[in-house]
Amino acid sequence: MIDPFYPAVLVLVILICLCFIRLILGPTPGDRVVAVDTVNTLTVASLVILGLIYREVIFIDVAIVYALLSFISTLYIAKYLGGEL
Amino acid sequence: MIETIIHVLVIAGLIVSATLVYYFRDLLAAALASGLFSFLISLEFYLLQAPDVAISQAAIGAGLTTAIFIIAIRSTKRYEEDAP
Repeated sequence: MIDPFYPAVLVLVILICLCFIRLILGPTPGDRVVAVDTVNTLTVASLVILGLIYREVIFIDVAIVYALLSFISTLYIAKYLGGEL
Repeated sequence: MIETIIHVLVIAGLIVSATLVYYFRDLLAAALASGLFSFLISLEFYLLQAPDVAISQAAIGAGLTTAIFIIAIRSTKRYEEDAP
């Protein structure tokens, strides 16, 4: 029997692949930053759902660390683009 | 079956982002693609059920490496010149 949460992860991964179009075509660096940030959020969502599928508590902790670090990474790039860094 | 499709899509995304790091002339965009590569390889480690490797990859690859790349680009030139 297939776990009913697997199609949800599949949809999230397809959305991640669609974000690559904006990363490739994006004319300005701002478009690319927004594409990467969207991929980070989608990845955190898919990590939580995968932790539900595998039925392990420790897998949720990875998603928490992941969300924090994606914020720091985006913040650095945004401060560089704003000219403050 | 669905798990195999997810694996194939994530690995295709890894190949595309690694190719983008090679093709971008703007070094900031190349650093962005490198950060995306490390996030996707962390997702792949997670899919292979190795959460400790995934957590260290996310910490080092996404947080530290992108920040250090940005600091290095700030001190040097941003756009790569054409090969002589």
